[in-house]
Amino acid sequence: MHDVTKIIDHIDRLKPIPKVANKIMSIAEDPLSSMADLAAVIKYDQAITANLLKVANSPYFGLRKKAESIQQAITYLGMDQILDLVFIQVSGGNLKGEQKGYDLDSGELWKYSVSSAVLAKTVAEFKKIKTSHLVFTAALLKDIGKVILSNYVGQYFHEIANLVSSRNISFREAEKVVIGIDHAELGRMVARKWHFTGRMEEMIGNHHLDDHWDEDDIEMCIVYLADTLCMMMGISVGSDGLAYRFHRKVIQKLDLTEKDLQIIMASFVEKMQDVDELVQAA
Amino acid sequence: VNIVVGVSDMKVSKDPNSVLITYSLGSCIGIAVYDPIARVGGLLHFMLPESSLDGDKAKRNPSMFADSGIPYLFKSAYDLGAQKKRMKVVVVGGSQILDQQGFFNIGKRNHMAVRKIFWKNQVMIDYEDIGGNGNRTIKLEVANGNVWMKSSGQDYKKVL
Repeated sequence: MHDVTKIIDHIDRLKPIPKVANKIMSIAEDPLSSMADLAAVIKYDQAITANLLKVANSPYFGLRKKAESIQQAITYLGMDQILDLVFIQVSGGNLKGEQKGYDLDSGELWKYSVSSAVLAKTVAEFKKIKTSHLVFTAALLKDIGKVILSNYVGQYFHEIANLVSSRNISFREAEKVVIGIDHAELGRMVARKWHFTGRMEEMIGNHHLDDHWDEDDIEMCIVYLADTLCMMMGISVGSDGLAYRFHRKVIQKLDLTEKDLQIIMASFVEKMQDVDELVQAA
Repeated sequence: VNIVVGVSDMKVSKDPNSVLITYSLGSCIGIAVYDPIARVGGLLHFMLPESSLDGDKAKRNPSMFADSGIPYLFKSAYDLGAQKKRMKVVVVGGSQILDQQGFFNIGKRNHMAVRKIFWKNQVMIDYEDIGGNGNRTIKLEVANGNVWMKSSGQDYKKVL
């Protein structure tokens, strides 16, 4: 077991998230907020606007007319998609690097994260859930703890892997036993440090649904399912593989049949090229 | 030269400089075929068992499903001069999430689909590594038919 406080200290080595992200997150979770509120926050923040037009015009967002200005991008895309776009902008800095401990080359964790976010959105739309930006952001950032834990996972990989196979426990559980802390727990701490909302903290911290979870929390179920589907499809999956627990209740709660799940996977794969371009553009 | 085979994708080649590779197979299955006389190789990475899920998608992309992708792989290899009786066949992937058991076990279903199609068409498998909770990467060297596999967190090992 490692000195966990030292690992937690590494949170400070992450690139800080722009303060504007917190404001945007609050706007997103406030049902009374408007597009004008959002535009007012975004317009003057260089960290957000720098690459926004390039990403907004990537095929994934499917704009019929090219956005020439930030104002146009906001008008054409609408609140929900602008929120997705903003969080893609602020997350890449930390997620794009290689994570050797998880056997992920440069760009692979980023691709996995964007793909889970797009999948979460696909499931939310399939279920006609309006707050799809929330599941998008949570799915995008859920593995931020891996960025910190990667070195330790590399160091103790064989112990972790042996524990997974000998005790039939999940990779996350084995991380906790061997290192003293797991990537989801670390992700929750990162979210707290970055002053994310309590809701986002919970969604990142419990994305494997291993602790107590509210079975009626549909958004939580969607983030979990998107992660599961991404692992199954093998989109830039690391050395942790598919060694996470399957919660059948999630599928029941979302009232999805096996055929629905296969349709979601097949539709996602058809969108892969657009997702790849989004990953590159962001 | 690495030729990358994506998810729901298939490539064949007789270029001795090429290496066909598909990364990170989860519940999907990768099938590598090689004819050592014609020196033709092919690699399929399919995701789901049955094309009856969506006929249009299967037409647009036969490599998405076992029952459309496998015939597509073999026919494409024949087009380059391969012959069935000479072909070496490697099948890997079909992993599952922990505790998945019967429900939504696409990995297992994909494997059953391969077995059914191969049995019907009398195709013998030379090497198979299926199931478990890891992910796998597989590559085929077209020059000599060597097939290499890498499992979660391990190094490549030669399997054919």
